Amino acid sequence: MKDFHIDHQSRGAVQFIRLSGSLDMYSFPRLETQLNTFFQQGRHAVLLDCKDLDYIGSAGLGALIGFAKLAREQGGDLKLLNVPDRIFKIIELLGFTKVLQVHNNETAALDSFSKS
Amino acid sequence: MEDSRPVKIQRSDSALKIAMPGDVTYLAHIREFIADLALKVGFTEEDVAKIEMSVDEACTNVVEHAYSTGKKWHVQNRNPEIRLAIQADENQLVIEINDHGQHFDFSAYQPAEPQTRAQDMHTGGYGIAIMRKFMDEVGFHSSAATGNTLRLVKYLKKT
Repeated sequence: MKDFHIDHQSRGAVQFIRLSGSLDMYSFPRLETQLNTFFQQGRHAVLLDCKDLDYIGSAGLGALIGFAKLAREQGGDLKLLNVPDRIFKIIELLGFTKVLQVHNNETAALDSFSKS
Repeated sequence: MEDSRPVKIQRSDSALKIAMPGDVTYLAHIREFIADLALKVGFTEEDVAKIEMSVDEACTNVVEHAYSTGKKWHVQNRNPEIRLAIQADENQLVIEINDHGQHFDFSAYQPAEPQTRAQDMHTGGYGIAIMRKFMDEVGFHSSAATGNTLRLVKYLKKT
């Protein structure tokens, strides 16, 4: 059981966040706080690298949806990168992959922000 | 002498019983335990993930809603606790989640399917909808004597 960890850096106009561990009711406020900070700073394009994410619950998914909704109103978005198969299957069944873009290639994911 | 350990485990012929504080810091331990058990019982990786998420959503609801402060609990003046009773056989896994927090009218709560909620960009209210989608049976009983008990059942599909 890994602790939840957030690492972020700017990649051009995109905020690149690497998540590891479990995103549940306990840990999601930390991500939500980070996303709120980005939003207040006018950084509305966020790419979340989920390669090392072990688990995501509805509280975490809700935080992602909440940011994506606000970001889109400002011309930005929140997209997912490298979602592990086990998590992808679950969020696909729940319909989240229809409202959040999921990428497997970092360059293509970063490029997609300037095209949208 | 009262058992003061935060996590208590009891084994009987019929069920494995675990009691732990109704606190978000314990959610990861519950998930890990349930996922490990479901895998050992013989569920597929996908079903293990569904069971893990359903139990997590159920326990999250207990912490967030049943034990919310300022509400009338079934048993006042007792520390919040989540009690799990788990039964597994060759056909199914049954997980009962019990609390003594506030009463909840489960049958009256009929949320939209998770896909519909996601499509509408809802940020919350997914928990029960997820349990109903991922588990084969979801039951609920609430009484002053026993508190709230949620019953989740997943059938073990034979290949």
